[in-house]
Amino acid sequence: MKKLLLTLSAVMLAIQLSAQTLGGGQVTGNFQIDAQFSRQDSAIGAEDVPQKMLSNVFANLLYTNGGFSAGIRFESYLDPILGFNSQYKGAGIANKFMSYQNDMFEITAGNFYDQYGSGLIFRSYEDRNLGLDNAMMGVNVKFRPVDGIIIKSMVGKQRYYWDYGKGLVRGIDGEFSLNSLIKNFEESKTRITLGAGFVSKYEEDQTILSSVEGYKLNLPLNVGAGAFRMDLAHGNWGLQAEYAIKSQDPNALNNYIYKNGNALFVSASYSQKGLGINLQAKRIDNMGFKSERTSTGEMLYINYIPAMSKQHTYALMALYPAITQVNGEMGIQADVTYSIKKGTWLGGKYGTTLKMNYSQIMSIDKQPLEGYTTIDQKGTDGYTSDFFKVGDELYYQDFNVEVSKKLSKKSKLALTYAYIAFNPIMENEHGDIHYNNVVVADYTYKMNSKNVLRGELQWLKSNIEYFDDDKRSGDWLMALVEWNFTSAFFLSVSDQYNYNGSKEHYYNVSVGYTHNTTRLQIGYGKQRRGLLCIGGVCREVPASNGLMVSLTSSF
Amino acid sequence: MKKLLVSVFALFLSIGMFAQETKSFPTLPENVSVKTLDGKTVQTSTFNNDGKPYILSFWATWCKPCLRELNTIKEVYEDWQEETGVKIIAVSIDDARGASRVKPLVNGSGWDYEVYIDQNQDLKRAMNVVNVPHTFIINGKGEVVWQHTSFVEGSEEELIELVRKVMNGEDISESK
Repeated sequence: MKKLLLTLSAVMLAIQLSAQTLGGGQVTGNFQIDAQFSRQDSAIGAEDVPQKMLSNVFANLLYTNGGFSAGIRFESYLDPILGFNSQYKGAGIANKFMSYQNDMFEITAGNFYDQYGSGLIFRSYEDRNLGLDNAMMGVNVKFRPVDGIIIKSMVGKQRYYWDYGKGLVRGIDGEFSLNSLIKNFEESKTRITLGAGFVSKYEEDQTILSSVEGYKLNLPLNVGAGAFRMDLAHGNWGLQAEYAIKSQDPNALNNYIYKNGNALFVSASYSQKGLGINLQAKRIDNMGFKSERTSTGEMLYINYIPAMSKQHTYALMALYPAITQVNGEMGIQADVTYSIKKGTWLGGKYGTTLKMNYSQIMSIDKQPLEGYTTIDQKGTDGYTSDFFKVGDELYYQDFNVEVSKKLSKKSKLALTYAYIAFNPIMENEHGDIHYNNVVVADYTYKMNSKNVLRGELQWLKSNIEYFDDDKRSGDWLMALVEWNFTSAFFLSVSDQYNYNGSKEHYYNVSVGYTHNTTRLQIGYGKQRRGLLCIGGVCREVPASNGLMVSLTSSF
Repeated sequence: MKKLLVSVFALFLSIGMFAQETKSFPTLPENVSVKTLDGKTVQTSTFNNDGKPYILSFWATWCKPCLRELNTIKEVYEDWQEETGVKIIAVSIDDARGASRVKPLVNGSGWDYEVYIDQNQDLKRAMNVVNVPHTFIINGKGEVVWQHTSFVEGSEEELIELVRKVMNGEDISESK
């Protein structure tokens, strides 16, 4: 008995002590459950769902204890909701990692997400709501020998739904903050950060025939990409630039041409209180970089090239989004934010905010090689291109202005106008360029401290007559009314009406309840086929008609 | 007998130590790197407000409710700071598409917040943020005492009321 008691207390003490030396650690996590019930609706192109109910679930569990952390993610797609690739079908532990870090080192084994610079040569990334995940499975090491230097190195394979891509991805990157490294420069008003990275992909040989019959392409097994970047800040001024090159990489995206790829991105900005200006330019030439050469579609990208235009959030303004052309594009963007002071004639009692944005994306110059009449011939260098020459084709153009103003203690109004030119070639479709004028009024009325009403009116006028293949063509009107009771509850009713076109109404009723970090949202209505964009990334979503229930929480 | 007493005492002691565990809050992840608007990499362990609570808000340039939240708070921020000394740390999760627009937007909008860019979303993942806006209140000890997603006009009054309670040492973990 005594022995038992002693042993028991010894065990408990041991547990207690070990828990204390380990600091106990903490477990946090989050999850999301989406369930969809959709029925056939041929008018909008919604297909029959024989399973009746579709669901996506994910749950992250994260354990941290001092410098140690470990996590797993459970995912299930039984069956995947509309718009998610059917290869997601299934359930299991999709993601797991262990990581340890101290002041100098950080090592992660398992799945990890990272990027070099802005991602022109490497970015592993996820967006669960879009079904995009190119998590690396391997090892990632970060090393900070002194303040101001970060060296990163990694090796691994990329996630491909429930599997991994064939290609092996290796990389190294260094970033140097000159202010921390050079004496007497520490307190300087000028801040300079330099960085350089190199990424290489290895993939086994395979048989891909050239367009000249009977010849097998001599494929490079290793493809390398390197980038150099700088970030310069001086008081109100800022300048960022990144240049990347990629070695011969014949792949399905570029029709197996052997031309080297390159990309340049430059951004300059000036800002002071009440005024912010940003100018950007980029040129992309044959920079589709994937870990499997035969892969098309959205998975297995090693790098990330953002679209150089504003990400619109109003439904009708986001109808025709810009889509990055990895095989070649040139773009410019200007963005201005200006706050007119309170008490001035234009500013009124509460001040006014003006936002202006312009972007234009063109093709790059591409000329056939000597002895060829067309570009992109399989097995050749593809084309020649004059770096500074702008191509003939307009891909995308967007001019938009937003004026937002607090009208009184209770009400706010934001008016937005956009002119958007959209070339269907960005979606690999043919046809004339769509020229659209879009106007949005967004009005918020605070009834009292608990009840807030918000309304949106949107109008899109297009030059393209409605045609059935593209259900978004034609002219649109949209109205939305939203009632919020504190931040805990909302009810919204909306309708998108293709009044000059299919005459179809896309109505939707949604209610949502939020308690701290738990949010339940139920929506009923019709969803137009189109692109769903979150952050900088978009995904094709098919039409649906029915009920969508979504529950998210984090703890 | 003595041994028995000792062992019983040891048992009680160890049980007592277990029971002693009071309610604990998760702490802010310490070693996650984010960037300042001037491109400098800093660790989250440098986040502080001299022992006073602060508000940590995740946002993005493309997120309308986030911009509404930060613009609404802008109008009362001076009063808040004067009264409570609270500070707002606004962490942008913009990727390469929006990251270079963050600084001009912050200054152009006249925000006086401490702003960082979490371009690789390391901090977002470490703090289990699923959607933005997601707002945290961190107390003087670096503990996450409250968090909430979504924003609507009027929520800012609830937010500052909670900060006042935290300053008075009240437990707000059950507050909505």
